[in-house]
Amino acid sequence: MKRRSFIKHSALASTAMMAPAFLQSFPPARRYASRAGKVLVVVQFSGGNDGLNTVIPYSNDLYYNLRPNLAVPSAEVLRMNDELALNPAMTDLKSLYDDGLLGVLGNVGYPNPDRSHFRSMDIWHTGSSSDEYWQSGWLGRYLDSECAGCERPYHALELDDGLSLALKGEHRSGFAMSSPEQLRKNTDGALLKALAKYEEVHNHDNESAAYLYKTLVDTQASADYLVEQAGMGRAEGDYPPTAFGQDLRQIAGLILADTDTRIFYVSLTGFDTHANQKGRQERLLEQYAQGMKAFVSDMKSNGLLNDVLVMTFSEFGRRARENGSRGTDHGTANNIFLLGGGLKQAGCYSKSPDLANLDNDDLVYQTDFRQVYAEILNKWLEADPVSILKHRFDPLGLL
Amino acid sequence: MEKIKHLHNRAGFGLSPGEWQQKRDWTVPSAVDELFDAARSARALPVENEIDELPDMMSMPDSKEKGAKVAQFLMKEGQKVATLGTEWVGRMASPSESALLERVTLFWHGHFACESKVYTLAVNQLNTLRKHALGPFRELALAVARDPSMIRYLNNQQNRKGQPNENFARELMELFTIGRGHYTEQDVREAARAFTGWSSNIIGEYTFRRGQHDYGSKTFMGKTGNFNGEDIIDILLNRRETALFLTRKIYRYFVNDQPDEMVINDLADLYYNSDYDTGRLLRHIFTADWFYAPANTGNKIKSPVTLMAGIMRALELKFQNDMAPAFIQRSLGQLLFHPPNVAGWPGGKAWIDNATLMLRLNLGAFALSSKEVNLRLKDDPEAAERGKAFKRLSADANLGPILQLTQGKSRQAALETLSAYLLSLQPKLGMAELADALEETDETLFLKKAVAALMSFPEYQLC
Repeated sequence: MKRRSFIKHSALASTAMMAPAFLQSFPPARRYASRAGKVLVVVQFSGGNDGLNTVIPYSNDLYYNLRPNLAVPSAEVLRMNDELALNPAMTDLKSLYDDGLLGVLGNVGYPNPDRSHFRSMDIWHTGSSSDEYWQSGWLGRYLDSECAGCERPYHALELDDGLSLALKGEHRSGFAMSSPEQLRKNTDGALLKALAKYEEVHNHDNESAAYLYKTLVDTQASADYLVEQAGMGRAEGDYPPTAFGQDLRQIAGLILADTDTRIFYVSLTGFDTHANQKGRQERLLEQYAQGMKAFVSDMKSNGLLNDVLVMTFSEFGRRARENGSRGTDHGTANNIFLLGGGLKQAGCYSKSPDLANLDNDDLVYQTDFRQVYAEILNKWLEADPVSILKHRFDPLGLL
Repeated sequence: MEKIKHLHNRAGFGLSPGEWQQKRDWTVPSAVDELFDAARSARALPVENEIDELPDMMSMPDSKEKGAKVAQFLMKEGQKVATLGTEWVGRMASPSESALLERVTLFWHGHFACESKVYTLAVNQLNTLRKHALGPFRELALAVARDPSMIRYLNNQQNRKGQPNENFARELMELFTIGRGHYTEQDVREAARAFTGWSSNIIGEYTFRRGQHDYGSKTFMGKTGNFNGEDIIDILLNRRETALFLTRKIYRYFVNDQPDEMVINDLADLYYNSDYDTGRLLRHIFTADWFYAPANTGNKIKSPVTLMAGIMRALELKFQNDMAPAFIQRSLGQLLFHPPNVAGWPGGKAWIDNATLMLRLNLGAFALSSKEVNLRLKDDPEAAERGKAFKRLSADANLGPILQLTQGKSRQAALETLSAYLLSLQPKLGMAELADALEETDETLFLKKAVAALMSFPEYQLC
């Protein structure tokens, strides 16, 4: 027996003896096995990250013409190929690129783009077109799709006190938790404990009441499980001392503890850079790059690199032409980063953005973001992308 | 007694302890009469100040000064809109206001879902919804089509002759009146032409811009004429599908998430034949026997705002900080004046995930004790950096009236009384077990804990 599973086994045994029957329905059988199944981590850049200063078309004069104040000089950029380079704040990400772990997909968007943060985020979360209003998220509908392990409430976990629409399905939803301690505090009131103790009080014919009790019981059981799991993972990477860095550390810890969570969701906020963009954006990109490097080193040293995929997106990119405040306004198409050992091929998948053919100073998208979702659902999560996204999207061949 | 409780839960926000004592033995017809009488004498919300000039928020700032000015304006207005939301919830919670009117207005606020970022636009829209909430739907729909906040939200300001913007026309059909499947793309284009020039001026008033209106002939739903927006609404209301669509939505909101198509069909006839008289339709529903059938009681999940207003009403709760109610609304997924999109709040089970449920179950306890909330919400996308956690609710409750219900009663009898007052579905946990679980020797503290505990039952989430 491996040391890790031994500890878990004994911890479970002692809990099981004291726990009431309903608690024993979780954790499930797979806890005894070693890692099975792939892990997806979604990183959301909130506020609309400026893609052109993240993945820089440094050999294109038009880029320098559009951005007399904001363009990064070609001498400073971190070159990936003859056309594209990373922002100088992302040296840690560049090293992952050099190791063949990073895939960069440019010009990702959707038809008739919406420039409102809320609406565009809604579109990315639900996977709808810009003229449709859907009330469930793409990952939530994945949870609805009878996927293996999806019945566990913490199969998809968001590191936050609230749950994003992306993780809300029609029948099942993901789980939100900023930290196990915070979760525990809200589940251990005197009455809630008493309700947990008397299993027979949960059985209502009333469907709504039964649903509320089930959610409560699942949350209490998940809190116990996640608190225990969080105590076992040992993330040792050099994470930035920010909230985002600590969220990533928690995710790494849970993955290393063989937690039965397969999807993690985390956000980094502050990308709405209408004025004085440079310093602010670069601080955020640096945080992201450092966090990713620490995360990858933890996965690597535990032999898990090929089992983990990180996808990073933002609700929109920013206007190609800079504004009068050394910033950029809301735009359209943007980059998506894919990171992990399971990429069919790493590197830059697309050409430099077409700055000669802008639509009112905005980039024209070439890849629909739902093609990326479809690829992940199909190749990584082994689900049926057509039923989840309600349309067929052309495969990209990245995974 | 159960009927009166059910009526007030669905047509209002529950009963205060005083109202419960006074009205629980009333008959249904007299209770319904009283609700409608109170709605007739309700006052509009005061409009505190007019706007001098709205900054042009559609075009992005072209200078640092202008950008800073718009940002500052929106921040100030955002706080005022949040305060307005607090004032509105205060009315929902107050026995001296018309609970029926507030409840029906809340329904229309979700139906004509619209994000309002500017205080004056928000309060004017709210007053418009209140004014027509229980009247003919035609007046309401027309007033909304001329509402500056809606015009801005659905881009009707950009809807001009020769350069139509179809956003409002499409949602008018898809979400506000007839529903998907009953119109064509051609109908959307023609309706958009009819609404050209329905605009809003720089100080946020409705204005009809003649120069932008398309006076040409249009063909809409098989009819041809020089239609304007009013004609489009009339043609839509002439279709029985519109009555059916609206009635189904009203039924699902006030009666049951699961539609009963037979009942809805009859109600749609009544609505259609009364020229869409919403008050009459609701009065019919609230006095119908089937409204009080077990299948239609105690099974709707309260919306966050309804839950909050109910707690405030039961505890005479006053928040020390105007932003606290907005924080709760946001955490629970129903921030007034900020619906998720034009389709409104989905409702039902969609209110519930592990995070919202735990906050909902703890809300009474947070309000009654200084128990730490310590939640950190997702930041605004415009925020520069991560915000701080929300620590405490800081509210003052008056437990006098609710505890008066328990006077002279044993512990178990007191719990049974409180449970009968607070819960629409009685929990299966016995009150003796509850008394034990509270582990409290002091009588006053015991009752306070009991109130908080009863509000923590999953059954309290239902009405």
